[in-house]
Amino acid sequence: MTLTIVHLLPELLGTYGDRGNVDILSWRLRQRDIAHEVLTIGVNDAVPTFADIYVLGGGEDDAQIAATEILKRNNGIKKAFESGAHIFAVCAGFQILGTIFPASGGRVIPGLGLIAVETISASERSVGEVISEPSIPIATLTGFENHGGQSRFLEELQPLGHIRHGIGNGAGSHVEGLVTDQIIATYMHGPALVRNPELADYLLSRKVGEMAPLAAPIFNELHAERVRAVHY
Amino acid sequence: MKLKVIIWVANFFGAISRVTGRGSGVMVAGRIILRLDPSAVATLAKNRRVVLVSGTNGKTTTTSLIYNALASSMKTLSNFTGANLFAGLATALSGDTKAMTAVLEVDEMVLPWAIKETRPELVVLLNLGRDQLDRLSEVRSVAQKWKDAVKDLPADCQILADADDPFVAWSAQDWSKVIWFSAGALGHIDASTCPVSGDLLLWTDGGSSYSCKCGFAKPIPEWILKDGLLSGPQEQSVEVKSLIPGNAAISNAARAIIAASLLGVPLWIGADSVSKVGSVDGRFGKLQIGETNYRLLLSKNPASWRETLTTSAMGPKTVLLAVNANTQDGKDTSWLWDVDYSLLKGREVLVTGARRVDLSARLTVQEIPHLVVENEVEASKVIGAKSADLIASYTAFHRLAKSVTRP
Repeated sequence: MTLTIVHLLPELLGTYGDRGNVDILSWRLRQRDIAHEVLTIGVNDAVPTFADIYVLGGGEDDAQIAATEILKRNNGIKKAFESGAHIFAVCAGFQILGTIFPASGGRVIPGLGLIAVETISASERSVGEVISEPSIPIATLTGFENHGGQSRFLEELQPLGHIRHGIGNGAGSHVEGLVTDQIIATYMHGPALVRNPELADYLLSRKVGEMAPLAAPIFNELHAERVRAVHY
Repeated sequence: MKLKVIIWVANFFGAISRVTGRGSGVMVAGRIILRLDPSAVATLAKNRRVVLVSGTNGKTTTTSLIYNALASSMKTLSNFTGANLFAGLATALSGDTKAMTAVLEVDEMVLPWAIKETRPELVVLLNLGRDQLDRLSEVRSVAQKWKDAVKDLPADCQILADADDPFVAWSAQDWSKVIWFSAGALGHIDASTCPVSGDLLLWTDGGSSYSCKCGFAKPIPEWILKDGLLSGPQEQSVEVKSLIPGNAAISNAARAIIAASLLGVPLWIGADSVSKVGSVDGRFGKLQIGETNYRLLLSKNPASWRETLTTSAMGPKTVLLAVNANTQDGKDTSWLWDVDYSLLKGREVLVTGARRVDLSARLTVQEIPHLVVENEVEASKVIGAKSADLIASYTAFHRLAKSVTRP
């Protein structure tokens, strides 16, 4: 079986080096000789409904709204989700998956509603290194957050991590991101899956099953360095 | 206190800072001037012809080229060291009292203030792209600040603006005296959506033109640079040459020639002056560390890395990359993943800097063999007695630029 990864709308959702998340997933699969393909979906392409992992990145206000409209248009990601696909979403991508997110001029934009999370404007932008203790069995998480929204769970949900440094989802929650059976969402740029090799493998193993460990010391070194760089 | 006395005091403390090795003295002097007289910049700019230059990339080079194009015809001052924030502008203007023309490089976020204070005769808007997102915020919000600032321009002020860049076009288009320039740049990494409507921007003609269904479209350029020939209104044209390598240098030279002509310098004189500039503030300067002869190149964001890697690819086979993430570099290194490093394939690549591990991870994924070294001295031990390019991010570049021996 060939694993299919869909890189969604990089022109719109790719402001913070987000393509790195797709690149590292592909690289880690390649090192292990696991057959896979990456489909890059542009603004004029239909979103495929059959793929295994969908990756959404971060973007500016207008781009986020444009991306949401495109994703709603053929409903591909929703259909794929309903048939078991996994989604990894960062920042604007995280917000798009929720019920609503804010835009300039006080506008409120309806999201895809795949998760019971609403995002509203925060009084201050959250910018800086973010460190959290994961709620899943992997190493401490490290990233760089840069967002003006705060995201609130509308029902009991599992955060990706508990904040040790930085803001994360905000709204007084002290948690970062979200994990469900099929979704991992986060405010961590970095890109997150490069800085957190165990998170990358956690995401992949949900689809391909247990994988042999990978000897790739540079990514472990990067992870250790970024965790060490923040005093918390 | 009279402004003259304030400047004398500021220069005194600036000199102390310089002599004691704390800094160049530029920032110290400027801060003192502005602390003691908050309207100093307005006073010092009052009877001068002021040209402001701003944009994500090319500010220092373009400012220096405009200075050179003007200097043969009129006594001109500039902030040569790239000190482009409030204090840097104050120090520059407090300099040569005989210079009645000032060409000032201005940080994108400081431009609105600089416009109000200096009441410029010409504003040169270069480009806007993602850069230091943790500090400057997203591109659109910077463009909005420019758009608002344009309303404060003196009525007879002209803007020389880049028509190829949708954000520049949007921020300048409301002004009646815009001179549009095109160097034929293709596409824009941050402009997938229209700055006016937020709808998808339609890029056509291989990325050389853009429009939106709302009516926003690329302005028709008055000045066009094509294959090294700059053509303007009334069938004016001039060949653009530069000793500075790379395509960006040629288009910045063209902007400088146009800017100088708007202040009365004939095209051919401007073109001749800019063609002789070989190195600006250490860029492309020579640097010997150990036995290695480096050519120093600045690279600070995805757009400038693309440009620098293309230029460097025609240079020596060995290249050392130095990436930091201090405040002036931007503290978030995510942008490393927006750069395509494939032009490094087949070259001998070394990486250093405070964020060398980030860079090494990036190059590993793009399968570019490289060696990680502690610093440039260690790099030289590996490289030995040959020539190499040293591509450095902002703070690494400025530390090394101090040791540049010759252009």
